[in-house]
Amino acid sequence: MHKLVRKITIVGGGTAGWLTAGVIAAEHMANSENGVQVTLVESPDVKPIGVGEGTWPTMRGTLQKMGINETDFFKECDASFKQGAKFAKWVTGAENDFYYHPLVLPQGYDEINLAPYWQPQSDQVSFADAVSFQGHLCEKGLAPKQISTPEYAHVANYAYHLDAGKFAAFLQKHCTEKLGVRHVLDHVTTVNSAPNNDISSVTTKNHGDIEGDLFIDCTGFNALLLGKHYQIPFVSKKHILFNDTALAVHVPYQSADDAIASHTISTGQSAGWIWDIGLPSRRGVGYVFSSAHTTIEQAETELRDYIRPSLGQQVDDIAIRKIPIEPGHRELFWHQNCVAVGLSAGFLEPLEASALVLVELSAAMISEQLPANREVMDIVAKRFNDKFLYRWDRIIDFLKLHYVLTQRTDSQYWKDNCLPESIPEGLQTLLKLWRYESPWQLDFDHADEVFPSASYQYVLYGMGFKTQARQTAKRSDNQALAQMTFRKNVQLTAKLLAGLPSNRELINKIHQYGLQKI
Amino acid sequence: MPNHQLLDNITHKDVHIITQHGSEYGDNNSYSHVFIEEFQDVQAHYPIFFQKNAATGKFETIALFGLAAQENLFLSDAGWQANYIPLSVKKRPFLIGFQETVVNGVVEQEPVVHLDMDSPRISYNQGEAIFLEQGGQSPYLQQITSTLVAVNQGHEQTTLFVDSLLQQDLLESVEIKVTLDDESKHSMDFLYTINQEKVAQLDDASILNLHKNGYLKQIHMVLASMANMTDLIERKNTQIKSNL
Repeated sequence: MHKLVRKITIVGGGTAGWLTAGVIAAEHMANSENGVQVTLVESPDVKPIGVGEGTWPTMRGTLQKMGINETDFFKECDASFKQGAKFAKWVTGAENDFYYHPLVLPQGYDEINLAPYWQPQSDQVSFADAVSFQGHLCEKGLAPKQISTPEYAHVANYAYHLDAGKFAAFLQKHCTEKLGVRHVLDHVTTVNSAPNNDISSVTTKNHGDIEGDLFIDCTGFNALLLGKHYQIPFVSKKHILFNDTALAVHVPYQSADDAIASHTISTGQSAGWIWDIGLPSRRGVGYVFSSAHTTIEQAETELRDYIRPSLGQQVDDIAIRKIPIEPGHRELFWHQNCVAVGLSAGFLEPLEASALVLVELSAAMISEQLPANREVMDIVAKRFNDKFLYRWDRIIDFLKLHYVLTQRTDSQYWKDNCLPESIPEGLQTLLKLWRYESPWQLDFDHADEVFPSASYQYVLYGMGFKTQARQTAKRSDNQALAQMTFRKNVQLTAKLLAGLPSNRELINKIHQYGLQKI
Repeated sequence: MPNHQLLDNITHKDVHIITQHGSEYGDNNSYSHVFIEEFQDVQAHYPIFFQKNAATGKFETIALFGLAAQENLFLSDAGWQANYIPLSVKKRPFLIGFQETVVNGVVEQEPVVHLDMDSPRISYNQGEAIFLEQGGQSPYLQQITSTLVAVNQGHEQTTLFVDSLLQQDLLESVEIKVTLDDESKHSMDFLYTINQEKVAQLDDASILNLHKNGYLKQIHMVLASMANMTDLIERKNTQIKSNL
């Protein structure tokens, strides 16, 4: 009889730990006698980093599967809607320079690639506006649904902005009260090895040894198990993605009914970019930059200048938190009977909110392919490593894409970002191809790509990239369908602009009345 | 701004209310709210559905009168062609308002009668008097007051009923698709109803619980009321024929 995988021990709380605990506990019935046992050990002193305030639309499914009520989530996590990202000053740096990466796919995406049909009219309408309504909704500050839309359902695809600290506490409560996760608040002092080099248990200060068949390392940048114990090397990606420091602040609203932006606003600066995330009770703003290209003092000044219009004199009193970033990831994520999820696996930068989605994807794969016993664990581990190495590479390519298409030459930062030696080879190849062929489904290898080809289209064409029209005729050319689809988008835009409430109005209603389940 | 006034026997001493029914009096709605206490009477004439309030998303129970907006198939030149008219229609143009009063130092919300002065039912020369010559309440107003009390209680009790259905996951969305005799198609996709199969699968404890609250009977009233859809479609077909 092979040793069953029954006890799962997660080391580290925070959003990564509790999300992973919740996903596994819900699917593998930790609250029943025949399910797995999930224990989460968390140090009482270690404060979670608590950034990562933007999610992907996948979070809706993740929360729903865990049996979470969306209304409770909105109320307790200070959550708001996110319909995509607005990139300002990434192309020319001018005041009117912006483009949208919305969350809805281009209209008719399963039957037609609109990019080549849009290109001839690119001077009249932006790509995002030609193929989707969502940029308009964002510009008007509208919500992606109505109060009568059931929970987790949408009119316009959406993700969330949330308070990461509150989110972790909310998940903890749900996991321990509803899903049967055992919570141990204690320091891990020693990691104990079995003869086969697996981790047999972790020793805690006050709760003795905690055993496990599978250990999940959610200890943040510390990477206590995978890094410190197993010495799995860290692979730096700083030569591609330069940002290594973030300065974060909370910005209060001036009045309780100030509009809440329903998209992340990211604005290019001299040595990085500033994120601006609207929660119901405050904004979360931060400057993520390359310390090789500016000084902390200069970065602080740029950050304060950014928030000055909303705060006036108060801006000089506001507390700034500094967060160091080491862009990169571990060489492997699953080693022996230990898998890292969250910052312990790696982190690149906040662009495109890839951190939380990687946690969700990791937790989902661990849960779906949870090895039945130790005998088959190495097979799953190899799959996991292959899959996630591929995913990290694709994310790196996609993030880098935002930088390499810039026309900014006003600072060394933007110029250095365009140096060929800083651009991954795979991305260079794709960029070469895309000069003659717009991104489409077959450009990528996997059925479950992190970023679909639509995302590449939004960024490429948002940044003014030109794909040359094909010189020879194609049977599948369908100008009529393309024009009909463009018109459909115009009609849909008008309809939604007239029918959707403001983001603030809907969030207030959710707090007051709640969302229906059906 | 709606002109809702707190009713008093000085301001409104000469006001009369037209009590006939007709589209000119605002009766051409395709539905009205109904309350569980009146389900027994309602289900004898109208299909009962659930729909979401557009402003709050909360479920409300309604009786359906027509297949399109602003269509009440029970209205004719002779008035409202049914033996029972729902309370929320009968109370028009009166409304319940709430007034803050201090009772033993505690602020309480006291229900009071309001009158919609913009209603086409308001008259000074025909209909029912609200107040008597000396300022006392007319028998008509007394009857309206008891209707308003029933509506007020009905709201609360119906909300509890709906909450109970939602807790047991018994509601489901239903799309009504009708093809009429003239081949025209009508569809309504904003209605919800009770899932009969789920009711049949409830465990004993849940059934007993619903029964003790009096909800089991109401559930069956709603299910039985579906038979009135046939009547509604027939009325529409008759209307089409008479318009030919």
